[in-house]
Amino acid sequence: MNRGGGGGGGGAGAGGGSGAGSGPTSAAALAAAKKQKKWLESVETDIANIVDHFSYLVNVSRVNEPPVRNSQEAFMMEMRAARMVQASDSLLKLVSDLKQTALFSGFAYLNDHVEERMAEFDKQAEKTDRMLARIGEEAAASLKELEAHYYSSSVPHTHENYLQQ
Amino acid sequence: MDGKLEISLDKLPIKRLEVIEENGLERFPPDVGYEEKRESLIRRIDFAWAVEKDDKNNKQKKRSRETSAAQWEFQSMVDNLQLAHQELSVIIDLINTVEANDAVTVASMTRPRPFPNEALSDLAVSAATKLQCFRHLGKYFKQSANALEQQMAREARFYGALIRLQQNWKVKRQRAVALASGNEGFTIDLFDNSLYDPAGIFRPSPLSTVCVDHDSAGMLAINLPPKSYHSLQFGFLSAYTDDMPIDSSKTKTQSACDADKESVSDDECVKETHSLLREVHQAIFSEQVFDLVNREACNQSLGVTVTGIQENYIQLNIGQETSVFISLVPTSQGEETVDSSSTQNLENAILPLDTLDGLNLPEDKPDTPKKKSVIPNQISCEIYLLQIFHQHVFLKAKDRPTSGGGVSGQPAKEGSGLLGHFCMSLAHRIFSNKVLMELENVVRGVPYMQLTSHPTWHSRTSSWTLFVKIPQSILHACQTRASDSHHRKHVTKSQFHTKVVVTDDCINVEGEGAPNVVGLFKGTSQEICSMNRYDCDLADLSVIILQQVASQVIRWLHEEALMVGIKANWDFLCLSFELEQGETLSLVAHVDPEDTEGCISWWLVMEDGFVEERKLSLDISDGASESRKFLGHLSLEVLYSTMMDLVGLCNGGGN
Repeated sequence: MNRGGGGGGGGAGAGGGSGAGSGPTSAAALAAAKKQKKWLESVETDIANIVDHFSYLVNVSRVNEPPVRNSQEAFMMEMRAARMVQASDSLLKLVSDLKQTALFSGFAYLNDHVEERMAEFDKQAEKTDRMLARIGEEAAASLKELEAHYYSSSVPHTHENYLQQ
Repeated sequence: MDGKLEISLDKLPIKRLEVIEENGLERFPPDVGYEEKRESLIRRIDFAWAVEKDDKNNKQKKRSRETSAAQWEFQSMVDNLQLAHQELSVIIDLINTVEANDAVTVASMTRPRPFPNEALSDLAVSAATKLQCFRHLGKYFKQSANALEQQMAREARFYGALIRLQQNWKVKRQRAVALASGNEGFTIDLFDNSLYDPAGIFRPSPLSTVCVDHDSAGMLAINLPPKSYHSLQFGFLSAYTDDMPIDSSKTKTQSACDADKESVSDDECVKETHSLLREVHQAIFSEQVFDLVNREACNQSLGVTVTGIQENYIQLNIGQETSVFISLVPTSQGEETVDSSSTQNLENAILPLDTLDGLNLPEDKPDTPKKKSVIPNQISCEIYLLQIFHQHVFLKAKDRPTSGGGVSGQPAKEGSGLLGHFCMSLAHRIFSNKVLMELENVVRGVPYMQLTSHPTWHSRTSSWTLFVKIPQSILHACQTRASDSHHRKHVTKSQFHTKVVVTDDCINVEGEGAPNVVGLFKGTSQEICSMNRYDCDLADLSVIILQQVASQVIRWLHEEALMVGIKANWDFLCLSFELEQGETLSLVAHVDPEDTEGCISWWLVMEDGFVEERKLSLDISDGASESRKFLGHLSLEVLYSTMMDLVGLCNGGGN
């Protein structure tokens, strides 16, 4: 079983701002923090957009006298509805990114899981070896007993039967 | 327009005094600009009288219209438009008049106020329009919500399955592939990079990277081209095998997560994917093993003779009589697996020589055992091949001492490689089966002999023991006699054994037997019991075993005779008693493995000083000569009683 080590992305859960020191670990931590900040901003932006646009839609429900303004507002409503859907789609993509990051992060958990599985399989292999050894011993004992019965029986000794006649 | 229009203008631009102060200062109104003056004059124009007049006329007209029978619904609008037209005409005339005298500009115009019903109708139209707009938006939101929900569900299924797969497999993502193919670019890497590979033997197989796709339902899917991966197959090319070359490792698989089966749940889909990946993993292992087999076969290791090579197929000779093949067979998905390559090669295979020559197989008797093949089970050989390669090559990086023990752990022979060890194990297995058949034939021919197998748990060593057990009746008699005589310390042996050990193709026989030479010189050969240990070949095995057993029986009779107090001589297969007058009475064993009635027969030979001259001229085949008599195939009880009779004869002659 292979340990978790492939793929891109660092641990998003590594937290931010640990950045003292050099090397891939601190660079990865900085990148993760930056990515986390970007995601949070994206979330805030999207949700603010959705709230703003929805508020506008609610506010614009009042009917105005000049029909020209109503047409203008209709166009604005369509535009804002599209923007709302776009923001929702952006949030969905953010969720996909988070899941992908979760796939390629959390190596500690993966490694622990791999270690557990290896220990479990090693135990199973030992158990199987012991079982095989036990089966072998039982087979040897059974073989010995069967051979003793077979050769002490009258079946192979047709020569004796012939003499007794 | 009716009526006179009077316009009053101030013709004399006299400055009028506005204020006189006490001090006599006169203040005049500020100078008004020319523009302002004109505007103020225009504003002084009063059209009220004209408007009132028009209103009066309109009311009269309305009254007249109301009294009329038919009323036009747009009449009010027409009236309003006419009034508006009149007002506009007045204004236009004024403007023309003013412009004719001086240039002026219209400052503003106010829209006529609509009636309430018109305002309400406009409002209703606007409200309906807005409502329609909101409904349209509602539909749009619903469609978008459905699409987003579906996408979310698809992604939840996909990533959930992928995370579960990641528990056991290495998941990678290639962004370049993602951009090119349009999907996320996930792959599963099946290559085991923890293998110990100092020589770079293991190259990543094309199957090592498996692409992860989406099916129509959005679930994770792994699609492999048909017959893209292979499984290892091992078989014997011999006419005497009972097992036909069958594929033991092929399994019918389907591409994981068939979207047409709606009843397949996500769990089952993930399990199927696991199974498919495991099969591919096994296929990679099979390919690596086949690659290693080819390398070792080409290196001309001991015990390995290559007799045929094709693509994904190699044929080896095991010894001189048996051929085996190792091939990679494509594993198709969901189809019948036909081993076409091996069946074709079977037709062109080199058939081995007769492997059963020289064996004593009684064919006429109904109770004879079935003729069994000496070729081992090919499935067990295949498993053994995979196991030794897995243990000694693929697990080299891990702890060897802990995994080297156990039932099947044994190091390969130096210099021959694993394939050589495997071939020599096969050769040993075939040879040991032949040895076992020989031993069984011998045991079948000697009623008082038994065979016991000793599993050695070593692939190139086999061991058996042949027992000759003294019957209990004789043992009781011996013990009774021993207690009566002075040989109280004598312990009668209850059984004799001969051990046969086969290592590779060498047979080693070990057992109690003839006295050694040193003992003979000392004159106490009967007290020295030597262990014979010697090697022999398969052709002579039966004779040697029978001679060994016969010598053990003779030795036992000799001991019994000595215990009784009779002086007897033991010479390999002959037990001699001295009678008076120099005569010698001998009990001689004769061994013949091909004798169907019994492999050990007994003769009684009388010898004196004169008989030896006639012995050469006698017909040996005549059992009824005066100096020798054929006793037949005697059991141990009969032998013992015969020996006691001879002892009695010796005693009687002495008395």
